[in-house]
Amino acid sequence: MNNDTIRAADTLTAPSAKHAARGQFRQGFADTVPIWIGAAPFGILYAVSALAAGLDWAQTLAMSLFVFAGASQFTAAGLFAAGVAPWTIILTTAIINARHLLLGASLAPFVRGTPAALKALMAFQLTDESYAVGMRRWLAGGGSPAYQFGSNLSLYLVWQLSTVAGILLGGQIPDPAAYGLDLVFPLTFIGLLVPLLKRRVDGLVAALAAALAVLGALVLPGSWYILLAGVVASGIGALFSRHGDEVTR
Amino acid sequence: MNIYVTILGMVLVTYAARVAALLLLRGELPAWLNRWLKLVPIAVFTALILPPLLLRELGDARVLALGPALPAGLVGALVAWRWGNLLLTIGAGMLAFWLARLLISG
Repeated sequence: MNNDTIRAADTLTAPSAKHAARGQFRQGFADTVPIWIGAAPFGILYAVSALAAGLDWAQTLAMSLFVFAGASQFTAAGLFAAGVAPWTIILTTAIINARHLLLGASLAPFVRGTPAALKALMAFQLTDESYAVGMRRWLAGGGSPAYQFGSNLSLYLVWQLSTVAGILLGGQIPDPAAYGLDLVFPLTFIGLLVPLLKRRVDGLVAALAAALAVLGALVLPGSWYILLAGVVASGIGALFSRHGDEVTR
Repeated sequence: MNIYVTILGMVLVTYAARVAALLLLRGELPAWLNRWLKLVPIAVFTALILPPLLLRELGDARVLALGPALPAGLVGALVAWRWGNLLLTIGAGMLAFWLARLLISG
């Protein structure tokens, strides 16, 4: 389905609009399936490390169900194992997940017409990966809340299933990073980023973000570098695209 | 029980970060903010790509570590540029990683 068909489908009346939304939901779900290759082994590994840290199966699963943020879940498991104070774990989680502020802000203009309750539900499953899949579609003009929900739910589902698998399998799991499976995440973002680089200002933002992210990652703790590069590089780029989109190649 | 309280705290701070901007940025946004936010995806994607390709975790810190991840990323970028297909990008990148690792260690 091309973008025009999707836009046309959006304007149709109730029953066919519902039908179109269901199609977009399915599409968003399916477009996120490639990321399962990367997410599933780490969901399993998370469960194993949480159990090793002394959490029981229900606590391990509760974190996946309700926090649903991989990097902070891994970190929390490590902190639980070290017997760190609860408020330290909560604060560390807040720092690691602060970057979601930026993802939400970037998504906000596209969901202006969506009811607040739906936005609140959408936010619950917002992750780097499903944000990236949904955003590629929004930027191409074919995005929709249904598509975003499909992508969100796709990742949520595989994370829960792999957490359960990790709980059931226990410690018999090789480290997925030993097979390079952690590379699936940067490769996913490469696959989503490259088609977005169309104008000169896009390249400028990417180059600035690359430099800021690497330097930031070397000197700042946690994932502050994502917030830093995300805000500053795009802000500088916005200054150079002052008059709309005319900074083209 | 203490563990559940901690998890609840994690849920609250994480959800707050996820939902805040979605609910607070309503209505017509000023043009400058729109231009800014439109470029955020490019900046965020890039920030999520580079450190895993160039750096390695070492305890609490990160250090520069050039290994098979870098050629994997380059191959992935080439495939994404030529074909624009996500699954193909991941597949080619992983293949490049395993090949590069074989060459380096062999």
